[in-house]
Amino acid sequence: MKNYIYMLVIAVALSSCGSSKKLYSWNKYEKASYNYLKKADEKSTNKIIKEYKKIINEQKGIRKSIPPGMCADYGFLLIQKGNKAEGIANLKKEIALYPESKVFIDRILKLIEE
Amino acid sequence: MKHIKLISTAFLVLMASCGPTSKLTKTQAYGGIYNEKPLTVLIMPPINRSTNVEAKEFFHTTLNVPIINAGYYVVPPFLSMEILKRESAYDSELFIDKPSLTIFKEIFGADMTLFTIINKWDKSSIGSKVTVDIEYIVKSTTSNETIYSRKGTVIYNTSVSGSGNIFLDIAGSLINTAAAKYVDVARACNEYTFSDFPAGLYSPKYNLDGAEMSGLKSFKVRLPK
Repeated sequence: MKNYIYMLVIAVALSSCGSSKKLYSWNKYEKASYNYLKKADEKSTNKIIKEYKKIINEQKGIRKSIPPGMCADYGFLLIQKGNKAEGIANLKKEIALYPESKVFIDRILKLIEE
Repeated sequence: MKHIKLISTAFLVLMASCGPTSKLTKTQAYGGIYNEKPLTVLIMPPINRSTNVEAKEFFHTTLNVPIINAGYYVVPPFLSMEILKRESAYDSELFIDKPSLTIFKEIFGADMTLFTIINKWDKSSIGSKVTVDIEYIVKSTTSNETIYSRKGTVIYNTSVSGSGNIFLDIAGSLINTAAAKYVDVARACNEYTFSDFPAGLYSPKYNLDGAEMSGLKSFKVRLPK
């Protein structure tokens, strides 16, 4: 009975929406995204690339995995900057990490090859 | 007695950490999500009915994070934006009341589409408050039903911590309100609203949170708390 009560207490505590540890770490991604969307100049592009690299290579979230969409958007940016091979590799990495992205990413890969 | 104290403490922690809740569990409030078990979310460009022309971008660049953190796959925002523009589909008003959203499943593989409507974005002329009226509507691309919706007024205080000098504090508030603090406002609105979003596949709470209480469908909150 005692154990049951302790388990209940822990379950309630864990289920609270105040739990601070997130699935993924994001650093300054949102501000970098906004600046890139608004300006798309060299400075904002370099800044968001730096954020993508951090998110991809230095994940501190509880899943210890790259968050959805990051490899794909990073790859897209690399392609826009002329680095097609690395860009395509990142798009394919997105499918490997998240198979549910295949429908969309395959469409993008086709557009790139055209 | 000791046990009662423990349970009471846990209950207080729970209450203190969440916003006000409705009388419905998440399963009751968001049954469509628990039945359909959607995984992939397409964020539609926000509909901006406010007088702040930049509000759309503040929200568009901050919506993916709380949904991904809830355990879902969000279609890459910049790539999807590019395709929506290419297909002349960047105006969400064209789709929000459409009887069928299956096109988004076919092109993006999306199980759900998220529409946001920014009805108001007002900043106080002096001081450090931004008031946002916003609606979030998630529709299934399978059933076309609304499977999640919340509407709220968020009053966000952008002021910096006090320096002890009232003139410096007022100046600091003005600078903050005028600068990139608005990204924080949008992020706070999104995080508060989606704090009751059912856990997705990549969350350890997937399929375990149905008995938790859902948030109020319509809310008014001051942030940060």
